[in-house]
Formats: sequence, C-alpha cells, structure tokens
Amino acid sequence: MSVMTKTIAEETGGQIYQPLLCKIGSKRVLTPLETLFRIELPEGRELGHRPGQFVQVSILGYGEAPISISSSPTRKGYFELGVRNAGTLTGAMHELKEGDKIGIRGPFGTFFDAEKLAGKDLVLIAGGCGLAPMRSLIQYCEDRPSEFGKLTILYGAKTPGDRLYKEDLVEWGNSNTFACNYAVDGVPDGACFDEGQVGLITVLIPPLSLDVQNTVAVIVGPPVMYKFVIAELKKKGLTEEQIVVSLERYMKCGVGKCGHCAIEHLYCCIDGPVFWLNEISGIRGAI
Amino acid sequence: MKRATTQELKTFFESLGTDYDLRAPVKLHDGTRVLGGLDEGPLALEGGKIPQKPTSVFFPQFDEVFMVSKDGQFHAAEPVKKPIFVVGFTAQDLDCLEFIDKFFSENYRDDIYFNKRDGAVLVGVSGKCGKDGEFLKIAGGKCDIELISDGECFIVHPHTDKGKALVESLKASECGCGGVKMETLKEESDALPKDDEETIDKASELIRAGKVPDDFWNEIATRCIACTSCNLACPTCTCFEVYDREQDGKMVRQRIWDSCQLDGFMREASGHNPAGLQMQRTHRRIHHKLAADVERWGHRTCMLCGRCDDVCPTDIGIKSVCKEIVERYS
Ligand SMILES: Cc1cc2nc3c(=O)[nH]c(=O)nc-3n(C[C@H](O)[C@H](O)[C@H](O)COP(=O)(O)OP(=O)(O)OC[C@H]3O[C@@H](n4cnc5c(N)ncnc54)[C@H](O)[C@@H]3O)c2cc1C
Ligand code: SF4
Ligand code: SF4
Ligand code: FES
Repeated sequence: MSVMTKTIAEETGGQIYQPLLCKIGSKRVLTPLETLFRIELPEGRELGHRPGQFVQVSILGYGEAPISISSSPTRKGYFELGVRNAGTLTGAMHELKEGDKIGIRGPFGTFFDAEKLAGKDLVLIAGGCGLAPMRSLIQYCEDRPSEFGKLTILYGAKTPGDRLYKEDLVEWGNSNTFACNYAVDGVPDGACFDEGQVGLITVLIPPLSLDVQNTVAVIVGPPVMYKFVIAELKKKGLTEEQIVVSLERYMKCGVGKCGHCAIEHLYCCIDGPVFWLNEISGIRGAI
Repeated sequence: MKRATTQELKTFFESLGTDYDLRAPVKLHDGTRVLGGLDEGPLALEGGKIPQKPTSVFFPQFDEVFMVSKDGQFHAAEPVKKPIFVVGFTAQDLDCLEFIDKFFSENYRDDIYFNKRDGAVLVGVSGKCGKDGEFLKIAGGKCDIELISDGECFIVHPHTDKGKALVESLKASECGCGGVKMETLKEESDALPKDDEETIDKASELIRAGKVPDDFWNEIATRCIACTSCNLACPTCTCFEVYDREQDGKMVRQRIWDSCQLDGFMREASGHNPAGLQMQRTHRRIHHKLAADVERWGHRTCMLCGRCDDVCPTDIGIKSVCKEIVERYS
C-alpha cells in the first residue's frame, strides 16, 4: 500500500499543495516534441527521490502536471524531467529558458525498490515515453551495477525519430553493464534504423535467455503495451510476483485527495505508480 | 440537561458570533434551507437534513489552494479568522464528516481542509424535527453539542468538554424530567426502521462477491444523464479539479468539486481513458462507496444521508440502485 517518502512540503510547513520554486539548470532537446529539463533545488539541496517516483510541476497561470523523474538519485545536485509537449502546462514549460523558475512538489509515489531488486537479473522494458521513468532506474543500475545480476534493456518506439534519450541509448548499448535490444514499430520512408529490429516491442522478448528463477521484469509504457508484454513474459515462465509495472493515470493532486487517479480502492499517486503485478492483477481496469 | 426553545437557541448562537464564524440552518426568502448566517433568514432547525451537503463548510465548492504575489512568491491560503461553529448536521451527516476527516488526514494531511476544520464546533440536530414530522436518528456523539427535539423544544446534549463549556452560557431552563424524556426519545430513535441499512449492506455484499453483472451497470448507465448532481450533493464525495485564475491582479490557484460521472474525469494526455464509458462511470459511482472503500477503509462510505436519491432526476440514486440490486441478484 501507500508509501510516504519525505517530500519538500516539509520545508513549506506541511503545506502539501504549495510548490517550491526551483531553477531550470539546463534544457536539452530530445525530439521535436520532447525536451529534457535539468532542475536544481534552491541552495543545492537534493530532491531525495527514489527511481520511479514523480513530481508535480507547476507554472502559475498554466496549472500543474505530474512528470516522472528521469534521473537517478545517485546523480547529485540536480534531477531531470523528460517532458512531451502535450498541452497547456507542458507547452508552457517548453517556452521556459535556462535560469527560469519552475514550481515543484514531491517527490511522490511508490518506486522501483532497489532493495527488493537487489541480486536479481533485471529485464527493463520501456515503450515510448515510458523510458522517462525507466531512465532513473537504468541510471541507478549503471551507477551501482554490483547490486544487481544481469541487466537487460528492451526499448521500443513508434519510429526511429520518436526515440527518446538517443545519446543514452547509444551509451547503454556500448557499455558492458547492459545488454540492450531496441525495436521500432516502423521506419518511415527516408529514415534508417540499424540499431535493432523493426516490430512491436514484444518481438524482443522470445529470444531472451533468462534465468527464470532469479529474474524480475520491470515494464513502463503506454497502456496498450502491458497486456501483450506481460503475456510474452509469462510464456517465458515469469510469474506475477516477478513483474513490476508503472501505471499512468490522470493525476491532479499527487497526494491521494483529488480522486482522479483511483483504480478501485487504490490511488495511483500514493499506492502507485509502481506496483508489483500481483498487487493489481485482480483489479478491474488496472491494466 | 437544558431544554431550549428555538428563540433561546437563536439568542445563544448570536452571543457566540463574536468568537465564532457561525453557520446555521436558515430559511431564505424563496423557502430554501441553507447553512448561513443568522442575518440571512430565520433560524430553521426543523425540516431535516439541509439539501446542500453540510460538509461543504469545510470542503467548499470553490476553495483557494494558494495565492501568488507579484514578486512570484507562493502564499498559503490565509488561516481562518475565527473558528467555524456549524449547526445542522444529522446523525448521517456526522458519520459522513467522520469519514472525510479520516480521508483528508490520512497519508498526506490536507492543510486546506484542516485550516477550516481544526477548532470547529459541531452541533447536531435530531429527534422530532425531520421533514414532515419525520423522526431524525439521535447521533449520541460525533459532535460537540446535539440538539434533540421533543416536538416542542430542543434538549441540549453536550457530548464534549468544549460543548459543555459553551452550553453553560445558554440561557434556558433545565429539562427537569429526570432524564425520562431523553429515554423515550432514545427508544424511539433505536426503533427507527433499518431497512435501508440492510438493503445497502446486502447490495455491497453482492457487488463485492461479483454477483452484479456488467449488463446491470449498462442498464443503469443508460438512465444517467451525467448531470453530476449525485456527486455534488454527496457529503462523502471529495473529488476535485485544480485550476489557476487571475483575481484582482493576482494569480490564484483554486480547487473546485469535480465529478466522476463526467467523461473527461480520468482522460489522460495520451487520450487513454480508463473511464471512457458511461457504464464504467456508473459502476464507479456505486462500486467506489460500497466495495472499493470497504477494501480501503474497512467500511462502506455511503452513510445513507439520502441526498443523491433526492436530487437524481432519473431516480438512480444509491438507495434505488441498491434496492434493484437486492431484488434482482440475491
Ligand atoms: C505518474 C505520471 C508520470 C508522468 N510522467 C511524464 C513524463 O515523464 N513526461 C511527460 O511528458 N509526461 C508525463 N506524464 C504525462 C503528463 O502528466 C501529461 O502530459 C500532462 O499532465 C499534460 O498536461 P498539460 O497541461 O500539458 O496538458 P492539458 O492541456 O491539460 O491537457 C492535454 C491532455 O492531457 C490530459 N491531462 C491533463 N492533465 C493531466 C494529468 N494531470 N495527468 C494525465 N493527463 C492529463 C487532458 O485530459 C488532455 O487530454 C506523466 C503522467 C503521470 C500520471
Ligand atoms: S446517500 Fe447518496 S449522497 Fe448520501 S452519502 Fe450515500 S451516496 Fe452520498
Ligand atoms: S444525479 Fe443521477 S442522472 Fe445525474 S449524474 Fe448522478 S446518477 Fe446520473
Ligand atoms: S492524483 Fe489526486 S488522488 Fe491521485
């Protein structure tokens, strides 16, 4: 059930809806639609998050939106957000410049629990924007590889141009820490893709050779992806106790009050977004 | 215990006005009973539950989340100037408030709600003062003071130390019956029919046991016009939406009640909508209170206040839906 990690609200006197103004340290364009923002807390403070958690980002007059933290807590002095321009708030965010201020609340939600994953072989499966939260766990593994067994990354995107964190993908692919397998659904005319397969992300699963007893799979992606990826993993012999998912729901408050993110008796913002599959398997509409 | 007339209670409430922000049932000139100040209309303790949910005193339809001054700094909503003194909760309303107190305090404590709720004085109303002479269940607690009507006057029963201290300044005669009147009223309260409780608990059981098929929800859903009245009237509905607006040259973030009966309630940026069908939303409205909340909080969160059945234009409030469930599936 819900976890309550320390949030920066403790520094705003327990006012849970009040953002803390933080500085945009730098911006990097990821795709025509997506930008990576590096955020710095005042006075060099750390956000104190765990991989898989999210923050609520505010720009006054434009509102607030939940955004996954895309960097590992092992990288000090900043945290990163990979943001898709999808509407009012995220659009306004893209207009901001380095040095501008942005409101942050959090960190919120459950996380990929490094203690429970310790010693395991991990298959990290990300689809599309799901690479944003997954990147925090990938970076964590990159910085502390000895805590885990064999590390495999599977990443799928619609087209080569839609792939996020292209430089990271190359770096992870070249490192000895990870075995990386990438796929794209299709390659438009004139584009090329020689870093992996063409097909849905599920094509990457059957060829994997897994130590079934000692493997945990972590899945983050668009809603349609889960059912098919889970089915492939089950064919490989993984059970629901060995699968971790991160779910996205419309979230307005992040603190279990506004009701928008409810999945039956669970609130995705405080009981999730990260769940072990067996915690939610009987719940209608969860996957 | 003291026994007071409506006039004596009015004088008592007026005397508290300097220390408290008073809200009591008053009758507006169009005949509506609302929670308001004594200057807004005559005190109207009789007539049963207030049509609007009384929990709105602490969780109003619009509320300020924070304000941002011109220099860009965030300012929390001002603390309330005086504690709230609210009269008019029925026993069921007090059950609802008890739940939302728990809801807003657990996990993250909702400081905006407790800004109003902390220090508030609650006055319940029960006995022979319901609509058309209906007997209102005696709460027997969950409030600071309970006003129990014997048909002519109100027996003033303080339940807390704060209530006792306040009632000392009430100018009214002692009841003088040696507790006999209260005994009789309690007996009458205990003898109130429990059919609604039995029906809703049975319906809750059937839903939880998976005995209510999707066809049923589909059928009820076709009768819902998504007017959202059920949510807006319900004292245990707590969902809200948040938005920013300019007010007097300052930027204010506000929250406003929201409704799970609206198509866009759960729609995500990607277009994915886990509650995109009316059937899913109708299911949620009932399932949430009778099954999901039982799982989460250990009890159902419909306290049978009756408001959603009163306001639903197509007669699919929770009581009627539960009746249908029990008739068809048990
Ligand atoms: C846990 C979580 C993590 C997320 N992580 C990321 C991330 O790392 N990067 C990223 O780019 N996006 C992420 N999102 C999605 C992001 O929150 C939405 O794109 C954003 O809320 C859209 O807001 P907007 O003001 O720009 O759009 P709007 O103009 O408000 O709306 C555009 C569309 O977005 C929907 N929407 C509005 N508010 C929300 C909301 N709070 N939650 C979901 N949908 C909403 C609307 O229904 C509408 O369909 C995440 C969402 C969740 C729940
Ligand atoms: S009767 Fe209707 S309005 Fe009253 S608590 Fe139950 S669901 Fe809410
Ligand atoms: S009051 Fe009745 S018609 Fe209106 S949204 Fe609720 S169930 Fe539907
Ligand atoms: S986002 Fe408000 S309850 Fe989860």
